[in-house]
Amino acid sequence: MNSGKDISENDDSMSFLSREKYFADHILNNSRSMISVINRDYVYEKVNTTFCKAHKGLAEYIVGKTLGDVWGQETFRNSIKQNIDKCFSGATVKYEASFTVPQAGRRYFEVVFRPFPVESGEITHLLAETFDITDLKLSEKIAIEKEEEFKRMEQMLEDRLLQAQKLETIGALAGGIAHDFNNILATISGYSELLQEDLPKTSASYQKVTKIQTAVSKARSLINQMLTFSRQVEQEKVTVNVYEVLKETIGFIKSAAPDNVTVRSNIRSKNAFVFADPTQLFRVFLNLMTNAIQALEEREGIISVSLKNVSGKSVRDELNKMIVADEYVLVTFRDTGRGMDPSLLRRIFEPFFTTRDIGKGSGLGLSVVHGIITEMGGEILVSSEKDKGSVFYVYLPISAESAKANIISEKRKRIFLIMGNKHESRILSLALESAGYELILSSSPKNLADAVSDRNSQPDLIIFMSDAENIKAVNLLDALQKSGSEIPCIIIDDPDHDIHEENFLNSGIVSQHIIKPVSLKEIKDAIQMSIK
Amino acid sequence: MPGILIVEDDTELREMLKVSFSRRKYTILEAGNGKDAITHFKPGVTDLVVTDLIMPEEDGLKVIMKLREIKPSIKIIAISGGGKAGPGSYLNLAKALGADAVYSKPFSVNDMILKIEELLNVEQQ
Repeated sequence: MNSGKDISENDDSMSFLSREKYFADHILNNSRSMISVINRDYVYEKVNTTFCKAHKGLAEYIVGKTLGDVWGQETFRNSIKQNIDKCFSGATVKYEASFTVPQAGRRYFEVVFRPFPVESGEITHLLAETFDITDLKLSEKIAIEKEEEFKRMEQMLEDRLLQAQKLETIGALAGGIAHDFNNILATISGYSELLQEDLPKTSASYQKVTKIQTAVSKARSLINQMLTFSRQVEQEKVTVNVYEVLKETIGFIKSAAPDNVTVRSNIRSKNAFVFADPTQLFRVFLNLMTNAIQALEEREGIISVSLKNVSGKSVRDELNKMIVADEYVLVTFRDTGRGMDPSLLRRIFEPFFTTRDIGKGSGLGLSVVHGIITEMGGEILVSSEKDKGSVFYVYLPISAESAKANIISEKRKRIFLIMGNKHESRILSLALESAGYELILSSSPKNLADAVSDRNSQPDLIIFMSDAENIKAVNLLDALQKSGSEIPCIIIDDPDHDIHEENFLNSGIVSQHIIKPVSLKEIKDAIQMSIK
Repeated sequence: MPGILIVEDDTELREMLKVSFSRRKYTILEAGNGKDAITHFKPGVTDLVVTDLIMPEEDGLKVIMKLREIKPSIKIIAISGGGKAGPGSYLNLAKALGADAVYSKPFSVNDMILKIEELLNVEQQ
C-alpha cells in the first residue's frame, strides 16, 4: 500500500505539535459557529473563519479589537459585558440574543461563553461560541403563527355556531313568551279600561290610567317585533334575480333618503339568480341601507351599493367556509358614516343588541337580516372603522337554475294588485309572478270596477297594499261588496296601522289582513285561505 | 239576558272579561280550555262565544268549528295572543273558519263590547 506509506512518511515529517495545531485550526475554521477567544480586557485574541466572514473581515482586523469595537459599545455594555463577567467568575453562560452582523443583517444567535483554561485555577480567557439560529427561530415563528391562525379560525367558527344557536333560541323563546305576555297585557289593558269607566274623564287618575294604556301599546308593539323575528324562519322560495330586487330597493331608498345622503350603485352583473323569497331579500337590503343612512347621522355622506358575481373558490378562501356553492352573488353596502369599534362589531347581529336610544329601535333588524341570509345558505360579513364607515358584505349562493320558475298550472289564479309604494309593489309582484300567479297591476283602484265587471278578465282575488292614497280603495271595495261582488280581498298593511287590523277584518271588507313586513309564505297562505 | 261563553285558559284574563261583560247585563259562562267548552256547551243559553285560539286540550279553532256545527246561529269572537306564527295568521285562520270577529291581544275590551252588541242585535232582528 504505497499511498498509505506516503502519508505516514508525511506525518513523520510533521512535528506532533504542528499536526495538532493543523487539525485544531481545521476544525475551528470549518465550524458553522462563530468561535472566538476573548481575554479579560474584552479583547479578541483569536477568531475563526466563520466569525470573520460574518463580519466581512480578515482575522488580522478583528484580533486585537475589543468586543465594544466589533459589536458597538452600547450593545457590549447592555447585553454582552454582564455575561462575559459572569463567565470570568467561573460559570458557563448560555443565552439567546439577536445581533446585527455586517454580512447578513439582524440574526438570532445562541451564545455560549466557556471559561478557559479551566485547570490553572485562574481564568485568563473565555471561549465564545455563537451559533446562528435564525432559520430555526423563523420556522418556530411560522409554526406559532400557523397555530394562532388555526386557533383564530376555530374561534371564528365557534362564534358563528354560537351566534346561530343564540338566534334560534331567542326566536323560539320569543314565540313562546309572546303568547303569555300578550295575555298579561290584555288583562292590564282590560282592567285599565274598566278603571277609566269608573273615573271622571277630567280627573288626574283618568290621565294616569291613559298612561298605562300607552305603555301597553308600546309593549304590544315590541312583542310584535319579537314575533316578526320568530316567524321569519320559514321561507317560501322562488328563483329570483338579485339584481331586480336590489334595483327596486335602491329606487325605494333614493326616493325616501334625506338630502345629505348620496346613493351610488355599481352593478356588475344583471344575471344573479338565487333561490329566495324576494320580499325577504328586499327586507334585508332595505334594512342594511336604512342602517347605512342612520350611520351618517345627518351629515353629508355616501352610500355605495355594488353587485357582482364571485366564484365559490374565492368565497371559500375569504370566508373559511368548508362547503361552498359554485358561484355567489356578492352585494356590498358601504357607508361613510360613524363606523364601529371592534367590540361593537362582534355583537351587531345579536338580537336585541342596539346602539340606539331606548325606544328608537328594537335591536332586531340585523339579527333578522342575519337569520334570513343564513337560512338561504348565504353569509353576511361586516368590516368597520371608527369615524370612517362600515361595509356589509352579503354573499348569496347562485341558484343552479338560472331561469324564472316556469310554473304552468292548469288555471293560474288571477290577482288584481292595487299598488302602494311602486318599488315595494314591484317586489311583491315579482314574488307572486315567480310563485305562479297571474297579476294585473294597478296603481289606482279606479280600474278595479272595470276589471270586475268584465267577465273575461275578472280577478280571483284582490290584494291591496295599504298606503295613504289607497284609502279610497277601502271605500271602493266596500261599495263593490255591497253591489254583490264576492271576490275575496287581502290587505297588506303597515305595522303602524296595526290598530286597525280588527276593523278591516271585522267590517267584512277584507278576508285576510297581513302586516308588513310580509313574507311570500304569509301571502301564499293568505291567498290559499281566501280562494276556496 | 243573552249568554256569553268565555273560553280562555288564562285565569286573570278570563276574570277580566267576565267583570267587563257583567257590567252590561249578560249571563256569563266560562271554560278554561277548548275541551270543556265543547263538552259543556249549552246551546240554549249561549248566544255568543269569545274564545282564545291557543289553549291546552282542544284549541280555539276546534271550538269554532264544533260550536258552529252544534249551533249554526252562534256568534263567535276569536282572540289570540299569537304564538310562533304571529297573531295575524291565527286570526286570519279563525276568520276563514267562520269567526264573526277577531281580536289580537291586547285588545280594547270596549271595542269588543260594541262588537258584541252589534252581533247580538243582528241576531235579534
